[in-house]
Amino acid sequence: MASVQRSRPSVRAMGVVMAAVIAAVAGLAGCSSTGGKRAEEARDQAASGKANVTTPRWKVAMVTHSGDGDTYWDIVQSGAKQAAAKDNIEFLYSHDKEAGRQAQLVQAAIDKKVDGLIVTLAKPSAMKNVVKKAVKAGIPVVTINSGQDESRDFGALTHIGQDEVMAGEAVGRELNDKGRKKAICLLHEQGNVGHEERCEGIKKTFDGKVEDLYVDGTNMPGVQSSVEAKLQSDKKVDTVVTLGAPFAATAAEAKKDAGSDAEVDTFDLNAKVAAGLKDGSIGFAVDQQPYLQGYESVDLLWLHRFNADMLGGGKPVLTGPQILTKKDAGKLETFTKRGTR
Amino acid sequence: MTVTKEPAKPEGPEGPGEPGLPPEKTDERLVQRSLPARLMRRPELGAVVGAIALFVFFSLVADSFLRASSLSTVLYFSSTIGIMAVPVALLMIGGEFDLSTGVMVTSSALVSSMFSYQMTANIWVGVAVSLLVTLAIGFFNGFMLTRTKLPSFIITLGTFLMLTGLNLGVTKLISGTVSTKSISDMEGFSSAREVFASTLTLGSVDIQITVVWWLVLIALATWILLRTRAGNWIFAVGGGVDAARAVGVPVARTKIGLYMGVAFAAWISGQHLLFNYDVVQSGEGVGNELIYIAAAVIGGCLLTGGYGSAIGAAVGAFIFGMSNKGIVYAQWNPDWFKFFLGAMLLLATLLNAWIRKRAEATR
Amino acid sequence: MTNETEANESGPDAKGPNAKGPVETGPDETGPTATGPTATEPGDGEPRDGEPKDSEPLVSLSDVSKFYGNIRALEEVSLQVHPGEITCVLGDNGAGKSTLIKIISGLHQHDAGSFRIQGEETRLGSPREALDRGIATVYQDLAVVPLMPVWRNFFLGSEPSVGRGPLKRLDVQQMRRTTHRELLRMGIDLRDVDQPIGTLSGGERQSVAIARAIHFGAKVLVLDEPTAALGVKQSGVVLKYVAAARDAGLGVVLITHNPHHAYLVGDRFVLLKRGAMAASYEKEGLELEELVRQMAGGSELEELSHELER
Repeated sequence: MASVQRSRPSVRAMGVVMAAVIAAVAGLAGCSSTGGKRAEEARDQAASGKANVTTPRWKVAMVTHSGDGDTYWDIVQSGAKQAAAKDNIEFLYSHDKEAGRQAQLVQAAIDKKVDGLIVTLAKPSAMKNVVKKAVKAGIPVVTINSGQDESRDFGALTHIGQDEVMAGEAVGRELNDKGRKKAICLLHEQGNVGHEERCEGIKKTFDGKVEDLYVDGTNMPGVQSSVEAKLQSDKKVDTVVTLGAPFAATAAEAKKDAGSDAEVDTFDLNAKVAAGLKDGSIGFAVDQQPYLQGYESVDLLWLHRFNADMLGGGKPVLTGPQILTKKDAGKLETFTKRGTR
Repeated sequence: MTVTKEPAKPEGPEGPGEPGLPPEKTDERLVQRSLPARLMRRPELGAVVGAIALFVFFSLVADSFLRASSLSTVLYFSSTIGIMAVPVALLMIGGEFDLSTGVMVTSSALVSSMFSYQMTANIWVGVAVSLLVTLAIGFFNGFMLTRTKLPSFIITLGTFLMLTGLNLGVTKLISGTVSTKSISDMEGFSSAREVFASTLTLGSVDIQITVVWWLVLIALATWILLRTRAGNWIFAVGGGVDAARAVGVPVARTKIGLYMGVAFAAWISGQHLLFNYDVVQSGEGVGNELIYIAAAVIGGCLLTGGYGSAIGAAVGAFIFGMSNKGIVYAQWNPDWFKFFLGAMLLLATLLNAWIRKRAEATR
Repeated sequence: MTNETEANESGPDAKGPNAKGPVETGPDETGPTATGPTATEPGDGEPRDGEPKDSEPLVSLSDVSKFYGNIRALEEVSLQVHPGEITCVLGDNGAGKSTLIKIISGLHQHDAGSFRIQGEETRLGSPREALDRGIATVYQDLAVVPLMPVWRNFFLGSEPSVGRGPLKRLDVQQMRRTTHRELLRMGIDLRDVDQPIGTLSGGERQSVAIARAIHFGAKVLVLDEPTAALGVKQSGVVLKYVAAARDAGLGVVLITHNPHHAYLVGDRFVLLKRGAMAASYEKEGLELEELVRQMAGGSELEELSHELER
């Protein structure tokens, strides 16, 4: 609105002002002596490998149900890429959070005649036909992350992931050990099956009460104020469990503003969670090692092709739950910052 | 607070802000309208009535709703919506839409975070660059609109999609991940946080600074709308663009200005996002643009332009905030929230239409 | 862009010689920049007002043509507008009336011929420029913004303000009072200038637009089909205001396809047919019947009757 007035003295004048500000900014060259890119460059980089196998360049596609800009899948990808680099594999990644479109992406991968396929089965029924089609076409399929119950039926070689219910159960037990009485399960995506399962798992093992709280994950201030509101309205709540790493820090902020002494615990991991574990604002994190899911699935497909190997013995290969606390925080901080944990 | 402030601001002949004019100069030939009649003509009346009803309702059903700390939470959330809803309302009065507002907020936050980080620059440099970039996006929207004469729906849908892609793509390209790196240890962070994301303590109540930004924007927007030439032009380009052009109103400049006003508010929101959470998720903000529009419409803005008020949009944001948090305070099943919101939007729109009809029929 | 910048500053300058405007707002005007109506345009104002020559027309078009691509919208049309006179432009739909208006009001530029304002060869770049030169156009259906209050409509585009710097604001009191008074002068007694102008009758809306043009010192008033959408009674009201504007010394261009209305008030008549000038009359010696006959088809009608006879 201020710009309504600002724009009055003609566009040219505005341009002059802009140019002046840019010049001022450049002239100031106001540098920060702390943090930033320079500090990062000083830190160690994640090792990037080069191929050290003799197999020809195979093509492996990964198709996930990730939404745009999801940190979690970012880590899965970097794991997969690391393995692909090592195994001389051309790695193709695509994603769509809508099951129908995800299925189309799988079809596209089949059409490309890939040598291996990695899919997530967030909505198994929608993926059933296309996965079976891939198997029929002779493409080895590995499922990751979600769909461990359906993986075998659909003809996949194995499933690499975390049982969401089991992960929830682990959280419930951990909360029991800590003597917690009432927890909030913070769901940031309404209608996500995996999220529901996590909360369900907590309810199974936790002796106290669990209440679900739904928030809109794309609106951080909305998440914060909803948690705040919940903590204000129910003083008995002593634990907030977030289902995604980015929401843990927000919940911690909300807890502070609401003046509550509830503990924030979270599923998944990122740099902020690691920092939170370190400074005590986050109690513990349950990790399912996304890097491992990506790395292992690609590597396994290579092994399968190279040596007809397979993991799991017909059962899912579990990458979690792994409970991380303050004592793990030190090394995790480095790993999360480079985007591999 | 907006609710009580509202009725005290009739656009009557003795409206506020004219201290210099002696009262006896009021034209005696002008028939003084009664207070109810004047209130009936305000666009935000429906929203104010709705807000009061909702407030009373939640006060009754949720016992923790009336606490000062709870109200401060509601106000905080309302302000994060309202900072955007107010300029969006002005834009809608000017007859245009902006679908890119939600992601523009994220873009703004990303720009200042990544610029500071990558250049290892003082945070304030990034903040200034972000202001320029965000204003440029607003200018682009307005310029494209006035040049191509395409509907704003299409233009800003394009910007929306482009920004969504840029947010993800550029962030990934620069940071290597889809969220930005932490900048909390950089110079200038704490002072920027003071400005954009601090908490003021008034007595025993904590008020987030976004509430202050919000109130300032409401006042500024209302002043522009009702008491400046630009405000007259905004109403005119929205209510009858050809008539406005025929009497010499600079239509293009007014519209570009409106888009840049929206961009300015997006910059404030974006900086709040950044300095409150320190790390920005590049996929955030999608879908919020409709909430801003909904708040403006609940507040009495006509979708076709030419009618509405900044205060109404603010009240609309407050209604949105109250119902969103009220459901939590009342411990209801949140599955129904969206339904509730949609029903309220419809009701508010119908109420507005009905009131306007009545107001025009009473003459 | 550039002309809009000018518009900002020259807005109130449109209040030309018509004394009311400047005198009323003068004392309140403190803003030095955009609001200097007290200084009536020094450069171009003088020769025009100072010239007592009645014979010099305010606006004169001679052999003006306009092409859209290779379509000839207007061909060699000539007309003159004198102060205190009404020049009627008659023609059927598609005769080129609106093209003519757009040229006079600055929306379009002519491609051939000469367009003079008070003897000075002109090419208008924008409606704002036309306004600044004293030509105000009142369009049939887009004269006003319906949802805006009467007083805001009245001053739209030429809003007076008080205060300076960031406190510069609309002079709302002044605007309300002036609107009420100016409308009263035209014989419209509004109970409430705050009502949306859309609630007024069609005739009243046209009249407000005319009053606005007079107030802002228009020397030439271009009226586009002011009576087209109106009933008999409302048309009479509007014609009365048109006559009032003429009596106030303005030159009026009245576009219409109704020869009865034109004949009632007109002093000169120009007939357009398919973009070309079909006839031009002065009031003296012209019979209403002739005008009606010409409008009803004239020679074409005769041709048609010949054809039908065959």
